This record gives sequence, C-alpha cells and structure tokens, in this order.
Amino acid sequence: MILGMIKDYGRTILAVAEMTVRWTLIDSFVIFTIFIQPLIVALLALWILQDKGNDVAMFVVVGSGMTGLWSGLLFICGNSINIERWSGTLETLVGLPTPLEVIVFGKCLANISFSLLAMAVSYILAAWFFGYTLSLNQPLLFVVSMLLTVISFISFGLIIAPIFVMNPSIQQWQNGLEFPVYMLSGFLFPIALLPGWTTPISYLLPPYWAAQALHGTSSGNAPFEQILLYWGILLAFCVVYYLLAGALFKKMLVKARVDATLDME
Amino acid sequence: MNAIEISHLRRIYKTTIGVIRRSIKEVVAVDEISLDVKEGELFGLLGPNGAGKTTTVKVLATLLIPTAGKVSVLGYDVVKEGNEVRKRIGFIFGGERGLYWRLSGIDNLRYFGSLYHVDPDAVKKRIPYLLELVGLKDRGKEKVDGYSRGMKQRLHVARTLLHNPPVLFLDEPTIGLDPVGAREFRQVIRNLQDEKKTILLTTHYMFEADTLCQRVAVINHGCLVALDTPSALKEHVRDLNVIELEMFGVSNEVIQRLRSQPFIDSVAVENRDQKQVMFIQSTRGSEAVPDLLNLLADVRVGRVQVREPTLEDAYVRLVGGDV
Repeated sequence: MILGMIKDYGRTILAVAEMTVRWTLIDSFVIFTIFIQPLIVALLALWILQDKGNDVAMFVVVGSGMTGLWSGLLFICGNSINIERWSGTLETLVGLPTPLEVIVFGKCLANISFSLLAMAVSYILAAWFFGYTLSLNQPLLFVVSMLLTVISFISFGLIIAPIFVMNPSIQQWQNGLEFPVYMLSGFLFPIALLPGWTTPISYLLPPYWAAQALHGTSSGNAPFEQILLYWGILLAFCVVYYLLAGALFKKMLVKARVDATLDME
Repeated sequence: MNAIEISHLRRIYKTTIGVIRRSIKEVVAVDEISLDVKEGELFGLLGPNGAGKTTTVKVLATLLIPTAGKVSVLGYDVVKEGNEVRKRIGFIFGGERGLYWRLSGIDNLRYFGSLYHVDPDAVKKRIPYLLELVGLKDRGKEKVDGYSRGMKQRLHVARTLLHNPPVLFLDEPTIGLDPVGAREFRQVIRNLQDEKKTILLTTHYMFEADTLCQRVAVINHGCLVALDTPSALKEHVRDLNVIELEMFGVSNEVIQRLRSQPFIDSVAVENRDQKQVMFIQSTRGSEAVPDLLNLLADVRVGRVQVREPTLEDAYVRLVGGDV
C-alpha cells in the first residue's frame, strides 16, 4: 500500500514537473529570472574580477548560478500556490485526491532543476567569452552537493509558498529578500567580508550551506570532513523544513477552507 | 442508500469592514439545511443568486468547512475524511476558470489524470472516450485559450470524469451557454445519469431542473423552503393560473399597486430588451384579466396570455416572487 502510494505520488510529481517545465519555456518572466538575470550577474562579476585567475572565475560561475536558483525559488516556487489561485485553478487542485504539497513539490523540483541551467550558461560565458580554463576539482562531491542543494531548496520553497499565501504582507517584501540572501549566503564573495553580526543570520540560511558545499567542492579547497559537515547541516535543515512544511500546508488549507479564500472570485 | 447526507448544515462567512475601526460582519450563507440524495439520483438544488447553492456544493466538495452541522458523501465525513471524499467525487463550477489555458484540451486531461492517480494507460484510453462524450473529439489538440465558454464547460465535465467518480457536483454548469450549447450539455448530463451516477445539479433554469431532476430542493436566503419531485412542486401552484403581460415602462409603484390586490398571489417582472414581461399568479385566471387591465390603465400593455403553471411558477411562489 505504501509502495503504491509512493509510486502514485512519484508519477504525480513527475507529471507536475513536466507540465511546469513546459510552462516555464513560454514564460518570459521565468526565463528572465532563471537565465538572463544570473547571466547579467556573472557578466558583471567576471568583468570586475577579470585577470583574477581560473579559481575566481569558477567561484563566479557557481555563485551566479546560485543567484538563479535563489531567485527561481523566491519568485517562482514562492508564488506557486498564489499563481494557481490567481488563475482560478487552486480550487480544482485542492479538490483532488493528491495533496497540494505534492503538487507544489513537483513545481519546485522543476523550477529548481531548471534553474541549474543558469550555472551552465554562466560556465559557457566564462569559458567561451572570457577564455577561462574551468575545472571541477571534486566532481563527484560537487554532484552530491548539487543534489542536496536541490533538495534543500525545494524544502525551503515548500516553506515560503504557504507563508506567502497566509501572509500577503510578507509577500510584499519578496523583492527585498532577493539581494540580501545573495550576499548573506556568500554566493559571489565570502561572508567574511561582511560585518561580523551578519554571520549568525547566514548560518540560519540553507542557501549559505549549499553555497559552501558547492564552492568547496568546485575549488577543492575544503577538506572532506568539512564537506560532510555542510551536507549534514543541509540534511538537518531539510528534515526540519519538510516537517514544518507539512504543518504549514495543513494550517493554510484549513484557514483557506474556513475563510473561503481558495478562489479569488 | 443515501449517497449524500446533509444534516443541519450552517455556513457563516466573516468579512472585515473598515480600516481604522475594524469590525467583523457575519453573513449566514446556509442556515440549517438538511437533505439526503439517494445513490444514482439526479438531484436539483434551486434558488436565487446568493441563496447558498454554491456554498452547499463547496462544502460537499470539501472546499469549505461548515460552521455547524454534519455532511457526508458515500458515508465519509467531508471534514474528517476529506481525502476519501475527494477520491469519489467530481465537481465543476459554472464559469471558465479551473483549466490551464496555455495547454491543449488533451494535455489538460492528461495532467489532471495524473493528479487523480489514474493509471497512464487507462488515461490514454479514457481521454478519447471522454472527449467524444462531451463533443470535443475534434478539438482536443487545440489550446484551451481558443475554446468557447461552452467548450471549456464541457472540458470541465471531461476533466471531472477522468477517475470515473460515482458522485458528481455540477454547479450551474449551463450558465452562460448559448441555447444549442446548453441543450448539448443537458444531453451530457442525461448520459451521465444513464451511467447511474449520483448527480447534484444547481441551476437557475427551471426548465432544466424540470426535465432532468428526479427531485429538487429550493433554497432561499440559506434556508430550505421546499423539497420534492418537480411534479409535486408544481402541485403547489395547481390552484393558480399565470397571466403573462408584455408592458413598456412599468414603474415600481405599479408593481406595488398590483401586489397589494387580494386576488393576486405574486408578481414577478423580467426585463426583455425594450419591454418588460410581468408574470402574475392568480387563482382567478382569465377572469382576472379585465381587473388587471383596469389597474394598468396608465401603462402601455402589449400581448396578454393566460397559461398553466410551470415549475418556475412554483419556484416563484416558494421564493416569494424574488426574481
């Protein structure tokens, strides 16, 4: 029975992810958020840091790709429930036997995975247009770090999507959350350059640990024990966030059914 | 056995008024409604706008939580066992929303098929059957964006039948459809009835309820005012005749004057282009016409017709001429 349920939900997640990718390809806002903006960030950083060497270029490639991941998470995953509500499909989805969190998981999976292409685009920019010789020092560990990054970002998406529905006032600060997280997570420069009081905030952000793991494995500068620590922290965040997401979805759906806010009409 | 059981259902909406001095206003949408729908029955829920029809359907579809009362579908409580209910129901709400317009009709059905956990092979086989059932066989590959309102409504029906649910909630499914589209849609509903599905249909159109439903409930201001077969409801007005008068520029003062007459049971007015049609229910039938014309001496009156009462007339009497 449990296996059947996993099979059903797995198939549903893949179907949602497939549909999401198809919509993504024709949505200019998503294309801008996932590709164009990280490309601009990479272009600026590579221009400013030109002649600093291949290691710095690789740092920029990974970091600018992560800006695409975060923006995709914030704007696309964060609004994934609201978009259904605005387009009038949320009632239909909530009335289905599939839990809404499974559908949002599929949407986040597609968007986060699709956002990884931003890293590939930045790589092409650095290698072809700026002539850097880029290499991954620990490719296997980098792939594992990437996988954990995707899973942790999805868990974060599952947290912010119901929060944005229940608290429209927080959603209004969505734009303001974009660049501070770029900086606090050390996507494009080490957080040691920031004032000391910001460090605890960075530690509370899964994107910071994901950035540490990805930068560490791409440069090969971090010892394996340290990479393991990053992975452990990412996994711990995942467990906490997935549990919290379950409670938040439940609360949001009860509230929406009581307040009659599933539909905008 | 009953497929749907509603016991003392009450639903209150709360809205906030004001910005600085905020207060909460409560609106009772459904007030102590109790009714049962038998398995395989096509049951009609009638009532004017704001009567509580859609609220009742949304509670049944697990989209709203009742303020009080107990509601179950096929024995499952809609609040405590919502997921069991959702596996066994299909629902559509009047209007065009609820579909993905950038996708084709077939892609919409494929997508919802996976969300209903229908086996992909079964979905592949079922889509052509459903498109044929709702008359969209040749338009399935087109984007929903280009569909007419009626086509979208029919695609909704196909969507809701993907998992072959035994219970269907159709909330004003023919609203906004042209007469041909509405007729085709009624045929779809008849086909579903032939498949022994339990259907709860809400509608504004009495003709539709009269021809399709085995039993109808009339609700007004959230309360149940009648529940019976269409023919039994018509018995309520068997003693009456309906006088239809075409008029031009009738004022509220005239309507009030007519309503105060002892030989008049109810007065309803419908605007049709430049003219108004007045429906007057009276036990005196054609004998009342000369008195009526005297009362309407200052109004331009066109065609006058006396006819037998219909379900609509029974409805008008039940909701107090509130149309």
